[in-house]
Amino acid sequence: MRTAKQARLLRLHFSEGDRYQGKPLYEAIVDRAKTLGIAGATVFRGLEGYGETAEIHRKHLMRHDEPIVVTIVDSAENLERLIPEVEAMMDTGLIATSEVEAIRIERRGNPAGG
Amino acid sequence: MLQKGTAKKVTIYVNEDTRHHLGPLYEAILNFLLHKGVAGASATRAMAGFGAHQVMHTAKIEVLAQHLPIRIEFIETAGRVEELLPTLYDMVGDGVLEVSDTEIVKAANQDLPAEPKTPHAEFRGKARMMRIYLGESDQWEGKPLYDALLQRLKAMDIAGATVYRGILGYGVKGHTHKSGALPFSRDLPIMISVVDTEEKLRQAIDAVEAMMQDGLIVLSDVDVIRLLHSRPESSHANG
Repeated sequence: MRTAKQARLLRLHFSEGDRYQGKPLYEAIVDRAKTLGIAGATVFRGLEGYGETAEIHRKHLMRHDEPIVVTIVDSAENLERLIPEVEAMMDTGLIATSEVEAIRIERRGNPAGG
Repeated sequence: MLQKGTAKKVTIYVNEDTRHHLGPLYEAILNFLLHKGVAGASATRAMAGFGAHQVMHTAKIEVLAQHLPIRIEFIETAGRVEELLPTLYDMVGDGVLEVSDTEIVKAANQDLPAEPKTPHAEFRGKARMMRIYLGESDQWEGKPLYDALLQRLKAMDIAGATVYRGILGYGVKGHTHKSGALPFSRDLPIMISVVDTEEKLRQAIDAVEAMMQDGLIVLSDVDVIRLLHSRPESSHANG
Protein backbone atom coordinates (compact mmCIF):
# COMPACT_ATOMS: atom_id res chain seq x y z
CA MET A 1 0.00 0.00 0.00
CA ARG A 2 1.37 3.37 -0.93
CA THR A 3 1.32 6.05 1.71
CA ALA A 4 -1.79 8.11 2.10
CA LYS A 5 -1.38 11.88 1.98
CA GLN A 6 -3.10 14.26 4.33
CA ALA A 7 -5.88 16.07 2.49
CA ARG A 8 -9.20 17.74 3.11
CA LEU A 9 -12.66 16.73 2.01
CA LEU A 10 -15.05 19.53 1.16
CA ARG A 11 -18.78 18.90 0.98
CA LEU A 12 -21.24 21.42 -0.40
CA HIS A 13 -24.93 20.88 0.20
CA PHE A 14 -27.56 22.79 -1.72
CA SER A 15 -30.53 22.24 -3.97
CA GLU A 16 -30.67 21.07 -7.56
CA GLY A 17 -32.86 24.03 -8.40
CA ASP A 18 -30.18 26.54 -7.37
CA ARG A 19 -28.73 28.43 -10.29
CA TYR A 20 -25.73 30.65 -10.91
CA GLN A 21 -25.65 32.99 -13.91
CA GLY A 22 -28.27 31.02 -15.76
CA LYS A 23 -26.88 27.52 -15.30
CA PRO A 24 -27.25 24.96 -12.56
CA LEU A 25 -25.16 25.90 -9.54
CA TYR A 26 -23.54 22.45 -9.33
CA GLU A 27 -22.32 22.79 -12.91
CA ALA A 28 -20.99 26.27 -12.24
CA ILE A 29 -19.14 25.06 -9.14
CA VAL A 30 -17.57 22.08 -10.95
CA ASP A 31 -16.45 24.41 -13.76
CA ARG A 32 -14.99 26.87 -11.27
CA ALA A 33 -13.15 24.10 -9.43
CA LYS A 34 -11.66 22.94 -12.72
CA THR A 35 -10.56 26.46 -13.62
CA LEU A 36 -8.85 26.79 -10.25
CA GLY A 37 -6.97 23.54 -10.86
CA ILE A 38 -8.68 21.57 -8.10
CA ALA A 39 -7.88 17.85 -8.33
CA GLY A 40 -11.45 16.63 -8.75
CA ALA A 41 -15.11 17.14 -7.94
CA THR A 42 -18.10 14.82 -7.87
CA VAL A 43 -21.77 15.80 -7.78
CA PHE A 44 -24.36 13.51 -6.17
CA ARG A 45 -28.08 13.88 -6.24
CA GLY A 46 -30.00 12.77 -3.18
CA LEU A 47 -33.54 11.47 -3.19
CA GLU A 48 -35.02 13.73 -0.58
CA GLY A 49 -33.81 16.07 2.11
CA TYR A 50 -34.29 19.29 3.95
CA GLY A 51 -32.02 22.04 5.17
CA GLU A 52 -31.83 25.60 6.34
CA THR A 53 -35.14 26.74 4.91
CA ALA A 54 -36.95 23.74 6.41
CA GLU A 55 -38.45 23.11 3.03
CA ILE A 56 -38.44 19.50 1.90
CA HIS A 57 -36.32 19.14 -1.21
CA ARG A 58 -37.56 16.44 -3.49
CA LYS A 59 -38.58 15.72 -7.02
CA HIS A 60 -41.54 17.73 -8.18
CA LEU A 61 -43.51 17.10 -11.30
CA MET A 62 -42.09 19.97 -13.30
CA ARG A 63 -38.95 21.12 -11.55
CA HIS A 64 -36.00 19.39 -9.97
CA ASP A 65 -35.50 20.33 -6.36
CA GLU A 66 -33.61 17.33 -4.99
CA PRO A 67 -30.70 17.80 -2.62
CA ILE A 68 -27.28 18.04 -4.26
CA VAL A 69 -23.96 17.22 -2.62
CA VAL A 70 -20.69 18.19 -4.26
CA THR A 71 -17.63 16.46 -2.80
CA ILE A 72 -14.13 17.70 -3.49
CA VAL A 73 -10.88 16.24 -2.17
CA ASP A 74 -7.68 18.28 -2.35
CA SER A 75 -4.95 19.85 -0.21
CA ALA A 76 -5.93 22.35 2.46
CA GLU A 77 -4.23 25.15 0.48
CA ASN A 78 -6.14 24.43 -2.69
CA LEU A 79 -9.44 24.27 -0.85
CA GLU A 80 -8.70 27.61 0.79
CA ARG A 81 -8.56 29.14 -2.69
CA LEU A 82 -11.82 27.50 -3.70
CA ILE A 83 -14.01 28.02 -0.63
CA PRO A 84 -14.36 31.85 -0.80
CA GLU A 85 -15.33 31.63 -4.47
CA VAL A 86 -17.89 28.91 -3.83
CA GLU A 87 -19.26 30.82 -0.87
CA ALA A 88 -19.92 33.80 -3.12
CA MET A 89 -21.75 31.60 -5.63
CA MET A 90 -24.02 29.86 -3.13
CA ASP A 91 -27.21 31.43 -1.92
CA THR A 92 -28.26 29.11 0.88
CA GLY A 93 -26.65 25.83 1.67
CA LEU A 94 -23.98 24.22 3.73
CA ILE A 95 -20.22 24.00 3.37
CA ALA A 96 -18.47 21.34 5.45
CA THR A 97 -14.87 20.22 5.50
CA SER A 98 -13.17 17.31 7.21
CA GLU A 99 -9.72 15.85 7.65
CA VAL A 100 -8.97 12.87 5.40
CA GLU A 101 -6.11 10.86 3.98
CA ALA A 102 -6.04 10.40 0.23
CA ILE A 103 -4.42 7.82 -2.03
CA ARG A 104 -4.36 8.86 -5.66
CA ILE A 105 -4.15 6.06 -8.19
CA GLU A 106 -2.84 6.93 -11.66
CA ARG A 107 -1.80 3.91 -13.60
CA ARG A 108 -3.39 4.18 -17.01
CA GLY A 109 -0.94 5.04 -19.80
CA ASN A 110 1.93 4.07 -17.53
CA PRO A 111 2.89 0.48 -18.38
CA ALA A 112 5.34 0.27 -15.51
CA GLY A 113 2.43 0.46 -13.10
CA GLY A 114 2.37 2.40 -9.89
CA MET B 1 -35.43 -23.84 27.11
CA LEU B 2 -37.17 -26.27 29.39
CA GLN B 3 -35.24 -28.13 32.05
CA LYS B 4 -35.65 -31.64 33.33
CA GLY B 5 -37.97 -31.77 36.33
CA THR B 6 -41.44 -30.73 37.37
CA ALA B 7 -43.43 -28.38 35.20
CA LYS B 8 -47.00 -27.50 34.27
CA LYS B 9 -48.88 -28.70 31.27
CA VAL B 10 -51.64 -26.46 29.97
CA THR B 11 -54.35 -27.87 27.74
CA ILE B 12 -56.90 -25.66 26.05
CA TYR B 13 -59.94 -26.94 24.16
CA VAL B 14 -61.60 -24.58 21.71
CA ASN B 15 -63.66 -24.93 18.57
CA GLU B 16 -61.96 -24.52 15.24
CA ASP B 17 -64.38 -21.82 14.15
CA THR B 18 -64.27 -19.74 17.33
CA ARG B 19 -62.95 -16.33 16.35
CA HIS B 20 -60.73 -13.94 18.24
CA HIS B 21 -60.74 -10.46 16.69
CA LEU B 22 -60.13 -11.19 13.01
CA GLY B 23 -58.68 -14.70 13.03
CA PRO B 24 -59.33 -18.12 14.52
CA LEU B 25 -58.95 -18.28 18.31
CA TYR B 26 -56.49 -21.17 18.25
CA GLU B 27 -54.19 -19.15 15.99
CA ALA B 28 -54.43 -16.15 18.29
CA ILE B 29 -53.54 -18.34 21.27
CA LEU B 30 -50.55 -19.86 19.46
CA ASN B 31 -49.34 -16.42 18.40
CA PHE B 32 -49.67 -15.15 21.95
CA LEU B 33 -47.64 -18.10 23.28
CA LEU B 34 -44.97 -17.62 20.62
CA HIS B 35 -44.76 -13.92 21.37
CA LYS B 36 -44.36 -14.64 25.07
CA GLY B 37 -41.45 -16.97 24.35
CA VAL B 38 -43.12 -20.21 25.39
CA ALA B 39 -40.78 -23.11 24.60
CA GLY B 40 -43.28 -24.86 22.36
CA ALA B 41 -47.00 -25.32 21.77
CA SER B 42 -49.01 -27.43 19.40
CA ALA B 43 -52.58 -27.38 18.26
CA THR B 44 -54.15 -30.65 17.24
CA ARG B 45 -57.47 -31.08 15.52
CA ALA B 46 -59.73 -33.72 16.91
CA MET B 47 -61.52 -36.29 14.79
CA ALA B 48 -64.71 -35.85 16.70
CA GLY B 49 -65.90 -34.51 20.03
CA PHE B 50 -68.54 -32.70 21.96
CA GLY B 51 -68.47 -29.98 24.57
CA ALA B 52 -70.57 -27.76 26.76
CA HIS B 53 -73.14 -27.27 24.02
CA GLN B 54 -73.78 -31.04 23.93
CA VAL B 55 -73.46 -31.11 20.15
CA MET B 56 -71.38 -33.79 18.45
CA HIS B 57 -68.73 -32.22 16.21
CA THR B 58 -67.56 -34.72 13.63
CA ALA B 59 -65.66 -34.73 10.39
CA LYS B 60 -68.13 -37.17 8.89
CA ILE B 61 -70.78 -34.58 8.27
CA GLU B 62 -69.36 -31.79 6.17
CA VAL B 63 -71.36 -28.92 7.70
CA LEU B 64 -70.18 -29.85 11.15
CA ALA B 65 -66.54 -30.37 10.13
CA GLN B 66 -65.57 -26.76 10.74
CA HIS B 67 -66.81 -26.96 14.31
CA LEU B 68 -64.26 -29.62 15.22
CA PRO B 69 -62.48 -29.30 18.55
CA ILE B 70 -58.92 -28.05 18.62
CA ARG B 71 -56.63 -28.96 21.49
CA ILE B 72 -53.69 -26.67 22.25
CA GLU B 73 -51.01 -28.00 24.56
CA PHE B 74 -47.89 -26.49 25.98
CA ILE B 75 -45.49 -27.20 28.83
CA GLU B 76 -43.83 -24.47 30.84
CA THR B 77 -42.48 -23.83 34.32
CA ALA B 78 -45.04 -23.12 37.03
CA GLY B 79 -43.96 -19.49 37.20
CA ARG B 80 -44.37 -18.89 33.48
CA VAL B 81 -47.77 -20.60 33.43
CA GLU B 82 -48.86 -18.35 36.29
CA GLU B 83 -47.92 -15.31 34.16
CA LEU B 84 -49.73 -16.52 31.06
CA LEU B 85 -52.95 -17.79 32.62
CA PRO B 86 -54.82 -14.49 33.16
CA THR B 87 -54.53 -13.57 29.47
CA LEU B 88 -55.44 -17.08 28.31
CA TYR B 89 -58.37 -17.02 30.69
CA ASP B 90 -59.67 -13.89 28.98
CA MET B 91 -59.00 -15.18 25.49
CA VAL B 92 -60.81 -18.47 25.89
CA GLY B 93 -64.36 -17.20 25.95
CA ASP B 94 -65.85 -20.50 24.89
CA GLY B 95 -63.91 -23.64 25.72
CA VAL B 96 -61.93 -25.32 28.45
CA LEU B 97 -58.64 -24.32 30.03
CA GLU B 98 -56.85 -26.96 32.06
CA VAL B 99 -53.57 -26.97 33.97
CA SER B 100 -51.94 -30.12 35.28
CA ASP B 101 -48.66 -31.06 36.94
CA THR B 102 -46.24 -32.86 34.75
CA GLU B 103 -42.65 -33.97 34.77
CA ILE B 104 -40.16 -33.31 32.03
CA VAL B 105 -37.99 -36.36 31.51
CA LYS B 106 -36.00 -35.06 28.60
CA ALA B 107 -35.93 -31.71 26.83
CA ALA B 108 -33.25 -31.96 24.17
CA ASN B 109 -32.39 -29.31 21.64
CA GLN B 110 -29.54 -29.99 19.30
CA ASP B 111 -29.39 -26.96 17.04
CA LEU B 112 -29.79 -23.99 19.30
CA PRO B 113 -27.36 -22.79 21.93
CA ALA B 114 -28.86 -22.26 25.36
CA GLU B 115 -28.34 -18.49 25.31
CA PRO B 116 -31.51 -16.42 24.95
CA LYS B 117 -32.39 -14.93 21.59
CA THR B 118 -31.93 -11.16 21.46
CA PRO B 119 -33.18 -8.98 18.62
CA HIS B 120 -29.84 -7.25 18.06
CA ALA B 121 -26.65 -6.17 19.73
CA GLU B 122 -25.17 -2.75 19.42
CA PHE B 123 -21.62 -1.89 18.49
CA ARG B 124 -20.31 1.60 19.08
CA GLY B 125 -16.81 2.80 18.54
CA LYS B 126 -14.09 4.24 16.39
CA ALA B 127 -13.89 2.97 12.85
CA ARG B 128 -12.56 4.04 9.47
CA MET B 129 -14.41 5.12 6.41
CA MET B 130 -13.05 4.60 2.92
CA ARG B 131 -14.45 6.39 -0.09
CA ILE B 132 -13.40 5.05 -3.48
CA TYR B 133 -13.86 7.32 -6.48
CA LEU B 134 -13.91 5.78 -9.93
CA GLY B 135 -15.74 5.96 -13.25
CA GLU B 136 -18.87 4.04 -14.14
CA SER B 137 -17.32 2.72 -17.37
CA ASP B 138 -14.18 1.38 -15.63
CA GLN B 139 -13.92 -2.35 -16.17
CA TRP B 140 -12.37 -5.27 -14.36
CA GLU B 141 -12.16 -8.59 -16.19
CA GLY B 142 -15.07 -7.73 -18.43
CA LYS B 143 -17.47 -6.45 -15.82
CA PRO B 144 -18.04 -3.08 -14.21
CA LEU B 145 -15.25 -2.24 -11.78
CA TYR B 146 -17.65 -1.04 -9.08
CA ASP B 147 -19.38 -4.41 -9.22
CA ALA B 148 -16.07 -6.27 -9.03
CA LEU B 149 -14.92 -4.09 -6.12
CA LEU B 150 -18.12 -4.72 -4.22
CA GLN B 151 -17.78 -8.47 -4.67
CA ARG B 152 -14.14 -8.36 -3.62
CA LEU B 153 -15.02 -6.41 -0.47
CA LYS B 154 -17.78 -8.87 0.29
CA ALA B 155 -15.41 -11.79 -0.18
CA MET B 156 -13.06 -10.12 2.31
CA ASP B 157 -15.89 -10.00 4.82
CA ILE B 158 -15.87 -6.21 5.01
CA ALA B 159 -18.80 -5.02 7.13
CA GLY B 160 -20.57 -3.04 4.43
CA ALA B 161 -20.21 -0.97 1.29
CA THR B 162 -22.53 1.28 -0.69
CA VAL B 163 -22.16 2.35 -4.32
CA TYR B 164 -23.31 5.83 -5.29
CA ARG B 165 -23.60 7.19 -8.80
CA GLY B 166 -22.87 10.86 -9.23
CA ILE B 167 -24.51 13.07 -11.82
CA LEU B 168 -21.43 15.07 -12.82
CA GLY B 169 -17.77 15.15 -11.99
CA TYR B 170 -14.14 15.18 -13.00
CA GLY B 171 -11.06 13.69 -11.44
CA VAL B 172 -7.73 12.10 -12.04
CA LYS B 173 -8.33 11.60 -15.73
CA GLY B 174 -9.16 15.27 -16.11
CA HIS B 175 -12.19 14.66 -18.31
CA THR B 176 -15.68 15.48 -17.23
CA HIS B 177 -17.95 12.57 -16.38
CA LYS B 178 -21.33 13.44 -17.72
CA SER B 179 -24.29 11.46 -18.86
CA GLY B 180 -24.03 11.07 -22.62
CA ALA B 181 -26.63 11.56 -25.30
CA LEU B 182 -27.29 7.82 -25.38
CA PRO B 183 -28.31 6.13 -22.18
CA PHE B 184 -25.70 3.36 -22.57
CA SER B 185 -22.79 5.65 -23.43
CA ARG B 186 -22.47 7.29 -20.06
CA ASP B 187 -19.43 7.43 -17.86
CA LEU B 188 -20.70 8.97 -14.66
CA PRO B 189 -18.65 9.21 -11.47
CA ILE B 190 -19.05 6.37 -8.98
CA MET B 191 -18.26 6.57 -5.30
CA ILE B 192 -18.18 3.51 -3.04
CA SER B 193 -18.25 4.16 0.68
CA VAL B 194 -17.00 1.44 2.99
CA VAL B 195 -16.94 1.40 6.80
CA ASP B 196 -15.05 -1.10 8.93
CA THR B 197 -12.25 -1.29 11.49
CA GLU B 198 -8.86 0.17 10.66
CA GLU B 199 -7.15 -3.19 10.24
CA LYS B 200 -9.90 -4.67 8.07
CA LEU B 201 -9.76 -1.59 5.86
CA ARG B 202 -5.99 -1.81 5.55
CA GLN B 203 -6.35 -5.18 3.82
CA ALA B 204 -9.22 -3.84 1.74
CA ILE B 205 -7.19 -0.85 0.51
CA ASP B 206 -4.47 -3.13 -0.87
CA ALA B 207 -7.03 -5.24 -2.70
CA VAL B 208 -8.91 -2.22 -4.06
CA GLU B 209 -5.73 -0.48 -5.18
CA ALA B 210 -4.60 -3.53 -7.12
CA MET B 211 -7.85 -3.57 -9.10
CA MET B 212 -7.96 0.13 -9.97
CA GLN B 213 -6.34 1.78 -12.96
CA ASP B 214 -6.94 5.30 -11.80
CA GLY B 215 -9.06 6.94 -9.22
CA LEU B 216 -8.93 8.12 -5.68
CA ILE B 217 -9.18 6.46 -2.28
CA VAL B 218 -10.06 8.74 0.62
CA LEU B 219 -9.84 7.62 4.24
CA SER B 220 -11.24 9.23 7.34
CA ASP B 221 -11.98 8.46 10.97
CA VAL B 222 -15.60 7.90 11.89
CA ASP B 223 -17.65 6.95 14.91
CA VAL B 224 -20.01 4.12 14.26
CA ILE B 225 -23.19 3.00 15.90
CA ARG B 226 -24.13 -0.28 14.39
CA LEU B 227 -26.84 -2.80 14.99
CA LEU B 228 -25.77 -6.39 14.66
CA HIS B 229 -28.07 -9.31 14.26
CA SER B 230 -27.62 -11.89 16.96
CA ARG B 231 -25.60 -14.30 14.94
CA PRO B 232 -23.27 -16.36 17.08
CA GLU B 233 -20.50 -16.26 14.46
CA SER B 234 -20.36 -12.45 14.16
CA SER B 235 -17.29 -12.20 16.37
CA HIS B 236 -15.22 -10.10 13.97
CA ALA B 237 -17.33 -7.03 14.74
CA ASN B 238 -15.81 -6.67 18.16
CA GLY B 239 -12.49 -5.32 16.90
